[in-house]
Amino acid sequence: MRDRVHRSALLTAALALFLTACNSQAPPATQQAPAAKPGLKVALIAKSSTNPVFLSARTGAEAAAKELTQKHNVPVEIAWLTPPTEDGQIQAQRIAQAVNEGANAVLISCSDAGKVTGAINDAVARGVPVMTFDSDAPESQRFAFYGVDDIKTGQMVMEELAAQMGEAGSIAILAGNQNAPNLRKRVEGVKQAAAKYPKIKIVDTFYHIETPQDAAAEVVRVQNAYPQIQGWAMIGGWPLFTQTLLDLNPKKVKIVAVDGLPAELAYVEKGIAPVLLAQPTYLWGYESVKRIFDKVQLKQDVPKIIPMELVKVTKDNLGTWARQLKEWGFTDVPDSYLSMK
Amino acid sequence: MLVILLLGAVLSIFAGSHADARTGQTVNNFLNSYTLIQTATDASFFAIMAVGATVVIISGGIDLSVGSIYALAGVAMAMVLRSLGTADTASTIAIGLVIAIGIGLLCGAINGALVVGLGVHPFIITLGTMWIVRGIAFVGSNAESILVPRGLTQLAKASLGLGDSLYPVPMMVMVAVTVIGSVYLIQTVGGRRVFAVGGNAEASRFSGVPIGRVKIVVFVISGLSAGLAAFMGASFYGSASCADATGYELYVIASAVVGGASLSGGKGSAAGALLGAVLIVLIRQSIRTLHFDQNYEWIIIGCAIIIAVVLDQASSRFTTSRMARASAKS
Repeated sequence: MRDRVHRSALLTAALALFLTACNSQAPPATQQAPAAKPGLKVALIAKSSTNPVFLSARTGAEAAAKELTQKHNVPVEIAWLTPPTEDGQIQAQRIAQAVNEGANAVLISCSDAGKVTGAINDAVARGVPVMTFDSDAPESQRFAFYGVDDIKTGQMVMEELAAQMGEAGSIAILAGNQNAPNLRKRVEGVKQAAAKYPKIKIVDTFYHIETPQDAAAEVVRVQNAYPQIQGWAMIGGWPLFTQTLLDLNPKKVKIVAVDGLPAELAYVEKGIAPVLLAQPTYLWGYESVKRIFDKVQLKQDVPKIIPMELVKVTKDNLGTWARQLKEWGFTDVPDSYLSMK
Repeated sequence: MLVILLLGAVLSIFAGSHADARTGQTVNNFLNSYTLIQTATDASFFAIMAVGATVVIISGGIDLSVGSIYALAGVAMAMVLRSLGTADTASTIAIGLVIAIGIGLLCGAINGALVVGLGVHPFIITLGTMWIVRGIAFVGSNAESILVPRGLTQLAKASLGLGDSLYPVPMMVMVAVTVIGSVYLIQTVGGRRVFAVGGNAEASRFSGVPIGRVKIVVFVISGLSAGLAAFMGASFYGSASCADATGYELYVIASAVVGGASLSGGKGSAAGALLGAVLIVLIRQSIRTLHFDQNYEWIIIGCAIIIAVVLDQASSRFTTSRMARASAKS
């Protein structure tokens, strides 16, 4: 009996808590808590917090926030709400959570555009503007997208690879997460460009979990299964964040990959990846936060599509790129590259 | 429940506040209708599956395939509805529900039949079907994220007069499933047989309980709950893909266990599964609300699950010994 009473009391208390909240936008507890300072709070929701490219986007966003705070005397805060692994559903939940907790804007790279479109529209309906970067949700009411043209990126990867392989041979496409719309477009771009080279044969397109180890393991598995592969069109740099593929013979296999993070530079130096098409991933955060500030604080118009240009990294500009990465806050750029030309 | 209330209180006190973007009113970051319904919504997809998974766990089994069944049911529903093209909202909802639940039921029946027919531990069978079912979803959908018709989203995101951007339907379905699960487990012969089989399979056999049939039924229930969760999830989020609910089986099992289900069978409840799911989602919520570093999420959730289960066990032992002392005195 006592147990039942105890349980009922707890249940009642829970219900009271719920109803109090539902009945009031400003419950008593709020009066005790300090109100947030007026400023700009940007919720940054990248695809996965285990992917280094998004960590550099975060660094860029925080740098922009610091600069804007100093320049305009308006506190700009970045709330990092990126899920540990790619999950469009969790991203949708985090958009809602960001709005519930008072974010003034949301910046997101969509793992699954279909899953987050509704949440983006809800946020906009509640007065919180949303901007996308890297991977867009074009059907949503986001006010701008900042990123590369994915079809063109795929085409560039293929064209560079074809040039490295003398326009002949068997290649494989490494494609990352099969649900990401931006990656699917890049694959399409690779295939479109490959059609121009009749002596190039695409063995297949290989999807994988977007972690460096999973990607490297996939490349090794595929390379063993298809020893005829002479080239890899990697629409993301995932496996090159490990050292696993440094054993490849650059005379037999060539890689052209998107991204150019510090860990990948060794592949350029050894000639395994003679060309990297680097996305300045730092700018995903840096530029996007500035555009959000323009839109929300300065009430300026922002173009719907803001194109990002790829940077071609080869042995010729390895040093310059390494120094750029260092300047953007990457702490793991090997010293040997910093002194290169 | 007490833990949930305490956590809720802590979050309410320390969450801080913000000015609402539309009204300008000061709103507590946690104790507001949006966050509470959002938390319940986030928990609902786990909780619906956790009720089904709890039935399996009470019977002494385990179902690792619920996340994959969720993915296949969602993808199959979205593909069929897409191929049917435009239909009226009622038909769309009915067809979608039948397909999602039907796929869940079919997968559950296959799981149960394999466990009973092959006499292999459910861990192994459902580990296998987890990959097979997700593979079918992958091949069938060609890895596309498939949009579902607007009618389904309108249903799942109906505000029911609560106001803009407040969506209570998933929460209501979660509560309804929990009530149905509780009634089944407590009030029906089938439910009592599940406890009997999980508590002592041999004794049940000698008592004439059809163990094979009970085992098949529990997997069917688990599959059904995954199908229903998929229907709600795909409808709420507006699309389905083969990658949906990846890894959710562990959250579902954790919800059941945190809610008091014993992995050795014979113990558990539907209400406990719901509370377990809410607690896990609340812990995830608190990491962000209290501005903990996101990178610690897995560590915090892992520790919280262990602590919650240890506390629950300690509380059970304390209650048992207190009752034993009381009966000894009388």
